[in-house]
Amino acid sequence: MSFWEKAEQIDRRWVYLMVGLAVIVPFIVPAEFPISITPESRMLYDAIEELPDSCTVMVVFDYYPSTIAECEPMTRTALHHFWRKDCKVITLSNIPLGGPSMAESVTREIAREYGKVYGEDFVNLGYKANYVAVLSGMGTSIESIFPTDNSGTPLSEIPMMDSIVNYEQVSFIFEVADNATADYWVSIVNAQYGVPMGCGTTAVSAPKYYAFVGSGQFVGLLGGMKGAAEYEMLVGKKGKAVIGMGVQSLVHLLIIALVILGNISYFVLGKHKRRLS
Amino acid sequence: MSGWEIFEIWVIAFFTLALFSFMYKDNPLYKVAEHIFAGLSAGYYVGLIWDTVIITQLWDPMIGGDWLLIVPGILGFLMFARFFPKYSWVSRTSLAFVMGVTSGIFITSQLHGLVLKQMQATMQSLGGGGGFGAALLSIIVVVGVISTLIYFYFSKEHTGVLGVTAKVGIWFIMISFGAHFGYTVMGRVSLLIGRVQFLAEDWIGSFKYIF
Repeated sequence: MSFWEKAEQIDRRWVYLMVGLAVIVPFIVPAEFPISITPESRMLYDAIEELPDSCTVMVVFDYYPSTIAECEPMTRTALHHFWRKDCKVITLSNIPLGGPSMAESVTREIAREYGKVYGEDFVNLGYKANYVAVLSGMGTSIESIFPTDNSGTPLSEIPMMDSIVNYEQVSFIFEVADNATADYWVSIVNAQYGVPMGCGTTAVSAPKYYAFVGSGQFVGLLGGMKGAAEYEMLVGKKGKAVIGMGVQSLVHLLIIALVILGNISYFVLGKHKRRLS
Repeated sequence: MSGWEIFEIWVIAFFTLALFSFMYKDNPLYKVAEHIFAGLSAGYYVGLIWDTVIITQLWDPMIGGDWLLIVPGILGFLMFARFFPKYSWVSRTSLAFVMGVTSGIFITSQLHGLVLKQMQATMQSLGGGGGFGAALLSIIVVVGVISTLIYFYFSKEHTGVLGVTAKVGIWFIMISFGAHFGYTVMGRVSLLIGRVQFLAEDWIGSFKYIF
């Protein structure tokens, strides 16, 4: 049996093991790969930089805990970016599983670093079912959709919300999503109310959303862990995404090698002839 | 780190490793983790919908005097008629309402916010600034959109000019699939990295508090 025939019959668990090792080893011996900045990440960074200081922004936690590795570095870095500019931050989520609690823990952790006070500098509106009604309704009145914040405090008792009625007082929305809710933010909020939006999304969804950058509906886009790492580099807050990209690059090299080997084997064993005949 | 936090980390680590064990082969530990996840998710959703929809958006405002909400309340209740074949026709009233409202909201927002905007972005002027590179990109976008649409035009046999254009469309679709596959690999690897980061930092990090 030739090498290629043996390689054809390899147990897939060896591939799992190789991928597993490629992920684990860089945690023991850190691997650093250069991270180039894509125009879409740069555009998002520049758009936020150009926002007026102390303006009000929304950070939307539309992702499940399963995609924390990709999405959380985006929200964390965005909070650093917004609070450096002294922005007022409203957080909310259209994801019931984990969204509001992740918003709560991440914002409170980073707020301590900047001395931000809940109710004065940031508010977590939490989760409300039926995102279409939520997104449309906030165009008229945020308080009618979220009468209370995530912990049940009436919005009327929160000082920061005194001057915020609807999207007119919101200068920018940063949507971080691992699902199709970004479509509705574009089609309802951006298209109908004209609020500028940026988006961070999982790698799986990224190809779809590049079209929204081309059409100007998103001012910029962070695609997956790579996008998150680029944003961390731009903001100067290297975190888990930058570390993860070293691992990511190593696994990509392994997968590319396996794909090339698989294709060589395909031709060497003459499978292409059988297919053609 | 409190005892409760350490317990939480160990529970998460146990379920992560139990689910990973499937990569070796199917086993009882994996089955236990899978069933607990399915049960917990279902229970959580029921509780969440009860609290955030039935209580917060229906019951509380109704008790507060907004009695008009009884109309959507009844419409929602009628949906349960589907469980009884003899009376399932009653639920059609609610379904008709849902379909009408959904169509009304979605047709306008999707058309206005997605279709028209994307069409507008496809029809960029070649002399609109950005130089030769931008003009070339605009041409590629137009060729890609038209050839892909023609590939999905099945009312005429794909021969002659139509056939050649459809073949160009296939190339665009293949390149798109390649990009999607590449990003999907990146996404899945990111999920694995997330779990390994948790195991390496949080779980192994908790050992010093125990051992």
